[in-house]
Amino acid sequence: MKKNRIIQLAVILAIMFSIMRSEAQERFVFTPQWTAQAQFAGFYVAYEKGFYKEAGVDVAIVHPSATQSAMSRVRNNESHATTLQLCQAMEIMDNGIPLVNILQTSMNNGLVIVSRRDKDPLTQKGARVGIWSIGFGQMAICMSQKEQLDYEWVQFASNVNLFVAGAIDATLAMSYNEYYQLLQTGMELNASNMYRFCDHGYNVQEDGVYMTREYYLKHKDQAEKFAQASRRGWEWAAAHPDETLEIVMKYVRENHIATNRVLQKLMLHEVLRLQIDRESGKREFKLRPDMVKLASDLMLECKLLKKEVTYEDLIVK
Amino acid sequence: MKKKYIRHSLSRRLSLGIVLFAAMILVASLGFMFWVSRQAIRQEAINHATEILENTALRVNGILDKVVIAANNTEWLINRHLDTPDSMYVYSRRILINNPDLNGCSIAFEPNYFKDRGRYFSAYSYNDNGNVLTTQEGNEHYEYFYMDWYQLCKLLDRPVWTEPFMDYNPDNNIYSHDMIASYCKPLKDKNNVYIGTISVDISLSWLSQTISAVKPYPNSYSIMIGQGGTYFVHPDTTKLFYQTIFTETIEKPDTAVTALGHAMQRGEEGMRQLKIDGVDCFVFYKPLSNTGWSVAIVCPENDIFGSFYRLRSAVTMAVIAGLLLMLIVCFRIINKELRPLKTLATQAESIAQGNFDETLPEDGRDDEIGQLSQSFTGMQQSLVKYIDELRQTTAQKASIESELKVASDIQMSMVPRIFPPFPNRNGIDLFASMTPAKEVGGDLYDFFIQDEHLYFCVGDVSGKGIPASLFMAVTRNLFRIVAQQGHTPEEIATQINLILSHDNEQNMFVTMFIGCADLKTGHLDYCNCGHNAPLLDGEFMKLKYTNRPLGIWEEGAFNGESLDDIRERQLLIYTDGLTEAENMQHQLFGDDKLQELMAGAKDLSSEEVIVMLQEAVASHREGAVPNDDLTLLCLVTKK
Repeated sequence: MKKNRIIQLAVILAIMFSIMRSEAQERFVFTPQWTAQAQFAGFYVAYEKGFYKEAGVDVAIVHPSATQSAMSRVRNNESHATTLQLCQAMEIMDNGIPLVNILQTSMNNGLVIVSRRDKDPLTQKGARVGIWSIGFGQMAICMSQKEQLDYEWVQFASNVNLFVAGAIDATLAMSYNEYYQLLQTGMELNASNMYRFCDHGYNVQEDGVYMTREYYLKHKDQAEKFAQASRRGWEWAAAHPDETLEIVMKYVRENHIATNRVLQKLMLHEVLRLQIDRESGKREFKLRPDMVKLASDLMLECKLLKKEVTYEDLIVK
Repeated sequence: MKKKYIRHSLSRRLSLGIVLFAAMILVASLGFMFWVSRQAIRQEAINHATEILENTALRVNGILDKVVIAANNTEWLINRHLDTPDSMYVYSRRILINNPDLNGCSIAFEPNYFKDRGRYFSAYSYNDNGNVLTTQEGNEHYEYFYMDWYQLCKLLDRPVWTEPFMDYNPDNNIYSHDMIASYCKPLKDKNNVYIGTISVDISLSWLSQTISAVKPYPNSYSIMIGQGGTYFVHPDTTKLFYQTIFTETIEKPDTAVTALGHAMQRGEEGMRQLKIDGVDCFVFYKPLSNTGWSVAIVCPENDIFGSFYRLRSAVTMAVIAGLLLMLIVCFRIINKELRPLKTLATQAESIAQGNFDETLPEDGRDDEIGQLSQSFTGMQQSLVKYIDELRQTTAQKASIESELKVASDIQMSMVPRIFPPFPNRNGIDLFASMTPAKEVGGDLYDFFIQDEHLYFCVGDVSGKGIPASLFMAVTRNLFRIVAQQGHTPEEIATQINLILSHDNEQNMFVTMFIGCADLKTGHLDYCNCGHNAPLLDGEFMKLKYTNRPLGIWEEGAFNGESLDDIRERQLLIYTDGLTEAENMQHQLFGDDKLQELMAGAKDLSSEEVIVMLQEAVASHREGAVPNDDLTLLCLVTKK
């Protein structure tokens, strides 16, 4: 009798272990491209509200670390998907890594240039302008060339300290992040010292969820489910901004991010705003071929791409 | 009600006035004193806070200077050994060994500066619990040349302090609240070309503790912000590194806080008064050396002025209590002092009601109230005496008045007063009236018919009042007696004059118009004895003889005149009380007015004429007291 029980127990344990192993193998690791903030609210919501589980995907959200960027994790197959701006994704593809856009969240460009007090960025030829060292701001590089402003780009890792200290004349900023950080340093920003790319023919979509085409081809179903659940997360976030902010703040606290509720609230609001397509007035959650074409043309012209990256190259075929 | 309560009592009014005045003086002087004290406390607080800030800044600067010196002392060694990159490890390590307080030191170079060392070369030494460890920190994950500490001094081309940052342990990916700041200095080669940065890190935990410990008042606290406004010292540790002084103003604009933040960012030193989290506070701020950081002490106003406010409340309460006490005492004293006045008032009221024998109290005071009391007693005595006299006089007057009334009645009964006087005779329209100026008068009139002759007279005795009335009575009786004997008017006058002038010691006289009309023929005999000329059909009669008044001289006869027929003619005889009636302005009624009135009265009956004239006189007088007796007689006989 006792023996039977032991055997039964052993069988149960063996089954459980095998289930756990198989689940562990199927775990889908998603890495947002930046530290925890409201920019990724929809993914946190989808996780916290169980949308991923409901969709049957075992998702783990792992943020990049100081020593390992999101894209390097994807390359090393430690993460299976990440968020990238469209221009970044195009550059990566141009460098020979085929990617697939499984979900497009941003429908508008949030890039701005802010210059020092009351100076129009367009009048500052040759100015020293801050740009992220990890490679956002392709549209700014294109604009600088097209407008013959010949900005001297100063790469920075993060934050707005160089600009605040007066070490640079202007800086690139995201309308949902650094823009509010600048406001938070007591700076007065207005139409006279700020240039919004989206209003000047550079309205190219930004954040989308990407994975390597190789991984996608092997895990189509999983990728689809992840994309659908993430979209559901974003839609829920748009409908419940207050609760979403609470979820974001939980992630912010857990990751010791030097930010605060005010900034995250503003960021969430702006990110959600950027998700609404200007023409349809809706959250479309898809790449726009015209914007892909625009981005590709501009980047080719400015030699940021060696060859054209098409809409078809990016989407799920 | 309240006003009445105060207005009706002198003591209440006086005490209230005194207390109000005292209150004004006290409020003004205490207000000034409080103002001066508040200014003094404020100045003291400013001095106190400024001194603390100065001391803190001095301490901080002393320590920060060590870092600057350490970096400066190493700079020349680096420049000297640029050909041996490995020596950089030695120098960065040496800085930490020589300065155990320091946390780390990087001697970092531009990408690919040392050809044989690749893109990254940054000799980094750090203090790991007393052990100095040295490593090359640059790699593709840590591209140091994009870091603030590296770039700030390069771009600004001068040594700078970075914004403090949280200590980060890459091994466990954990940030601690240990605050680190770096002093960075650009490195240049012989050609003055930038080649890299030396950065010396120091833990600012001590700074945080030093600044947090600054607590000049029980509820005051200190803050420190960086160049971007970020809180690096704040009692609410959840704000450290995460929030700036401006964060909350993004959602809820607060110009005072924003202005404070900007002033601190600009490296200004000073004091501002503003509301922080709804509490009135004084904020004293000062920059820390040339770090770009600024320290501030936030002191709730209640803390600074706490004891002052308590003192002010206590003094205010004491003053209010004192004033109330003063009001009560003042009221009592004044009430006591004024009590005799109240008694006097009560007694005066009693006296006014007729109790003249009320006895006044003797309080033996010789002040103003005593004098008033004495005067009042004197006045009361005089009043009692006077009232007694008045009473007697009044009684006498009443007796005289009563007698005069009788006399007046008698006098009036002496003249015919029933009109029409001859109801059985249709041919005579006669009406007369006599109105004495006083109770009794000196005027008279009379008429009677005898043997178809109508005898009549109107007279005016000299003077007025009782003597004139007695003389009038005598004259009227004489007229009746003499006329009834069938004499002509001039004979009647002669006889009356004879009797009156005899023994007339008072020299009184009477003017008189005596007439005798034959009722059958209308013939009129008349004699005017110094009397006003009568009016016949509205015209003054032209008298040949005026004669003298009766009663003055015995000698001589009186001349009479006659009119053939006075029937259907209007004869008005009057005394001078008519033409000489005065109004308030002493203007006389006058002959002209009389003539004018009579000209329009030809168709009136005798009674209507008399009434019309009486109304005209009354109207002329305009309420003035009659200055003379008024007697009127109007006669019209018919054919």
